[in-house]
Amino acid sequence: MRKTSAALLLLTILAAGCGGSSSSSQEGGTFKIGTSSRIDSLNPYVAFNQDAYSMFEYIYPTLVQYDKENKKFVPDFAKSWSTSADGKTWTFKTVSGAKWSDGQPLTAEDAAWRINTDIKYKDTGAANDAGLIAHITRAEAPDPDTLVVHYAAPAGNVLGQFQQYPIIPKHIWESHTGHKGNDLKTFANNAPIVGAGPFTLDSFKKDQIALFKRYDGFYGPKAKVDAFGLRMFSNDDALVTALKSHEIDSIEEVPPTSVKTLSSAGFAVNKIAGVDQTDFIINSSPHKTSHPELQNLKVRQAFDMAVDRPKIVDVVFLGAAKPAASIIPSSTGDWANPSVQPTAFDIDQANSILDGLGYKRGGDGIRVANGQKMAYEVITPTDLHSANRTFQILQPDFKKIGVQLTQKALDSTAAFDAMTAPNGKYANFDIALWDWVALIDPDFMLSVVTCDQYEGWNDSGFCDKSYDAMYSKQQLTPDQAKRRDLVWKMQRYLQTKKPYLWMATLDHISATSKDWTGLVDSPQGPFNSLSKISLSSVQQAG
Amino acid sequence: MRGADYFIKRFVFAVVTVFVAITINFALFRLAPGSAVSNLSRVPHATPETREALKKEFGLDKSRGEQYVLYLMQLAHGNLGISFANQQPVSSNLTTALKNTVPMVLLGTLFAIVLGTLTGVISAWRRGTATEGMTLGTALTLYAMPTHWLGLMLIIVFAGTLPTGGMSDEFLINPSFTEHMQDLARHIFLPALTLGLVLFGEYTLIVRSAMLETLGEDYILTARAKGLKPWAIVRKHALRNALLPVTTLIALSLGYIVAGAILVETVFSWPGIGRAVYEAVLQRDYPMLQGAFLVLTVSVVFFNLVADLLYFKLDPRITE
Repeated sequence: MRKTSAALLLLTILAAGCGGSSSSSQEGGTFKIGTSSRIDSLNPYVAFNQDAYSMFEYIYPTLVQYDKENKKFVPDFAKSWSTSADGKTWTFKTVSGAKWSDGQPLTAEDAAWRINTDIKYKDTGAANDAGLIAHITRAEAPDPDTLVVHYAAPAGNVLGQFQQYPIIPKHIWESHTGHKGNDLKTFANNAPIVGAGPFTLDSFKKDQIALFKRYDGFYGPKAKVDAFGLRMFSNDDALVTALKSHEIDSIEEVPPTSVKTLSSAGFAVNKIAGVDQTDFIINSSPHKTSHPELQNLKVRQAFDMAVDRPKIVDVVFLGAAKPAASIIPSSTGDWANPSVQPTAFDIDQANSILDGLGYKRGGDGIRVANGQKMAYEVITPTDLHSANRTFQILQPDFKKIGVQLTQKALDSTAAFDAMTAPNGKYANFDIALWDWVALIDPDFMLSVVTCDQYEGWNDSGFCDKSYDAMYSKQQLTPDQAKRRDLVWKMQRYLQTKKPYLWMATLDHISATSKDWTGLVDSPQGPFNSLSKISLSSVQQAG
Repeated sequence: MRGADYFIKRFVFAVVTVFVAITINFALFRLAPGSAVSNLSRVPHATPETREALKKEFGLDKSRGEQYVLYLMQLAHGNLGISFANQQPVSSNLTTALKNTVPMVLLGTLFAIVLGTLTGVISAWRRGTATEGMTLGTALTLYAMPTHWLGLMLIIVFAGTLPTGGMSDEFLINPSFTEHMQDLARHIFLPALTLGLVLFGEYTLIVRSAMLETLGEDYILTARAKGLKPWAIVRKHALRNALLPVTTLIALSLGYIVAGAILVETVFSWPGIGRAVYEAVLQRDYPMLQGAFLVLTVSVVFFNLVADLLYFKLDPRITE
C-alpha cells in the first residue's frame, strides 16, 4: 500500500514538474528556513533556545498540541483524554500501532517511562523539565495505548504542560540514566535522531544547519514537503540578503528594519502579535534598604506614567510592537486580562503625584526622597538589542519628573548576578530593563514573580505570600474558566504592585518567498513549538 | 653548542610561559562578574537543591584552590573537561570549531602574507613614484577599514553570485567530489578574502617599512655600484635583511590562527572558534574558555619559538 502511494506521489511530482498539473500548489521539495537564532543542543534535557524546542515539536510526539489558532488543545499522540472525578488522575488514550523511525513500537509506555524518569531525577539530570511534571506522583501504561498520570492534587494546567513535553524513545534513552540521572544531560543525541514526528532530524551541524526529512511512518497527517532545513545565520543583514538572493525560502524572524526592503522585493511579510515583551523592572525585594521610596506604590505609579510607550513602539520597534500592560501578553488569547490596559503617558500627572509625596526638587532639578536624590542606576543587559534606544527615550522623560536615570550595561550573566546580589537577596539594584518571552499557557510567566523563583527566574525580587497563594491555587484548579478568573485576578494584582512596568509587546515578523504557501503563523513564528501543523502544511505554490 | 643552549633556553621559556598563561586563564574568568551556576540554574522551577547539585556537579562548590589543583590534574591527563553549556567534552567542541576556523583563517592569512610582502617590496623599491602612492594608499585604506563593514559590502556586492554565509550548501543532494569542492571554495572565498584584505594592508606597511630601512644601508649602495640587477639587489640583499620583523609578524599571525576571527565569523555565519569563545564568555563556560585559551596560548608560544629558531638561522649575530 505504501509503495503504491509513493509511486503515485512520484508521478504527481513528475507531472507537476513537467507543467502538467493544474492544481494551485504542489507537494515535495525542500523548504529552506533561515534563522538568526540557533539550536543550542539536540538533547531535551540540555536545550534552552526556542528553536531547539521547535525542533523537538517536529521530531518527537507530544500528547497534545495547539490548534491552528493556537487557542485550544487538539490531539497529537493522545487521541483523547479524561480526568477522574477528584481531578487527580488523568487518562490519555494514545494512537495504536505507531512506530519510531527505527521501526520500534511507540507506545504509552514511552511516555510513562519519561515522566517517571524525570520525577526520579528532577533535581539532577532532568531539572530542565522539572516544572512540566510538577505535582505528578507517577505515571503508568496499563496497556500500550493507555497512559495514566497520577497527581498529588487536582492539577490546573495539565494539557498546557504536556504540550511542551516531548516523548522520547525509551529504548534509546533508558541506558543513559547513570550518575544519578546526570547522564541524561551528557548524552549527545546526535543526528540522525530516532523520532516519531512528521519529520526526523537527518543531519545537524552546530551553528550551521539542521536538515529534517519527512517521516512517512508518522502517526498523524503526512507532511507535504520532502524535507525542510533550518539554516543558522549569525548576522541579520546576511540573512535578509540570503532571502533576497533566494538562497533560502523564508526568514523565521525578520528584524523590523528589513520589513520595507523585503515587502518591496515581493516577499510575503507576515506580522503577528508576539509573546516577547520588554519591561522596566523596579526592585521589589523586601531586603532592599536603599531608596525605600521605590517600594512606594505611588512612586511606581508616577514612573509608569513617565513611560512613553507609543514613542518606544514607534522609535525603538519602528511600529512593529504594541504598548504593553500585563505580564500575560494579549496574544495568548483568553489568558490576558482585557481590563489591564497600558498606562497613558502623562508627565504632568506623574509630577503631581511626586509633588504630593513631598519629594521636592533640588537645585539640579532632581527630587530628593528620604534625604537622598532620586537618582537610580538602570541595569541593561547587552543582549537586549532594544535596551539602549529604550533607555534614551526613558532618561529625558524621567528627568522631566525629577528622576535621574543612569545606564549600567552588563552582559546578561553579569546583569542577573548584579540584580540578585548579594547572595540571592536582591538587595542592591534599583531598576533594570529586560524582556520576557511568554508561553501560551500563563503558568510559567506567572511563576517568575514567585518567592520560589528567587535566584531562578525571578528578576524583580518580588516576593509576596498572597500572590504565591494565588499562583499555587491556579496550578491546582482544573476548571479552566475558574483558573482563568484567577489568572486575571493575578494580573490585576501585579498591575497594582508594579514589580514590572510593561513597555512593549513585540510583533513577530516572518517573511516567505511567494513560491511557497501553507505556513501557519503563530506568536512564536511559523517554526514554533506550539504544534506540528505549520511545516506539515507548507508546500510549493503552483 | 651555543645553538643547543639557545634552543634549551627558548624551550624552557616557552614551557614556563604556557604554565603562567594556564594559571592566568584559570583565574581570569572566575574574576569576571557573573557566575556559571546562576546561568545554568535558570531552568523553570529550579529549587535551591537543584542549584546545589549543579554546583557540585561542576565542582564549583569547592574552593578556588581545590578547583585549580583539579584543573591541573585533569590537564596533566589530557582532559580539558566538559562544557557547562552543551555538556559535551571541551576537546570535541574545540576540535569541531578549529576544523572550521583554521582553513578559512589560514587561507586569508597566506593571501595577506604573499600579496602583502610583494606589494610592500614594490612600494619600497618604487619609493616616490605613483606606484608607491597607489600601493600605500590601498594598504592604508584596507588596514583602516572595519572588518565587518568590508565583509557586509562584499556580501551585498556578490549576492546571488556567491553564498551569503555558511561553510557549505547542505541542501546539495549527493554532490560529486568536484561539486563538493567547488561548493566549499565558493563558501570560503568571501570570508577568506575579507580577512586577507584587512591583513594585507598590515603586511604591506610592515614589509615596506623594513625594506626602506634596508634599502638605505651602505651595502645596497655597494650592490648598486657593482652594477647588480635591481631584482637581484632586492632578492639577495634587501629582502633577506628585511625579513626579521616580517618573520615576527608571520609567526604572530600564524599563532593567532587558532583564535579565529570573530568579526569575519559573525558576518559570514562561520561556526568557528572565535564565535565559540565569545559565546563561552557570555555563558561563563569556564572549561570551554580554559580549553580555548590553552590552545591559543600553546599555538602562540609555539610559533614564537619557531620564529626564535628562525632568527637563529636568519641572523648570525645571535650566535655571536
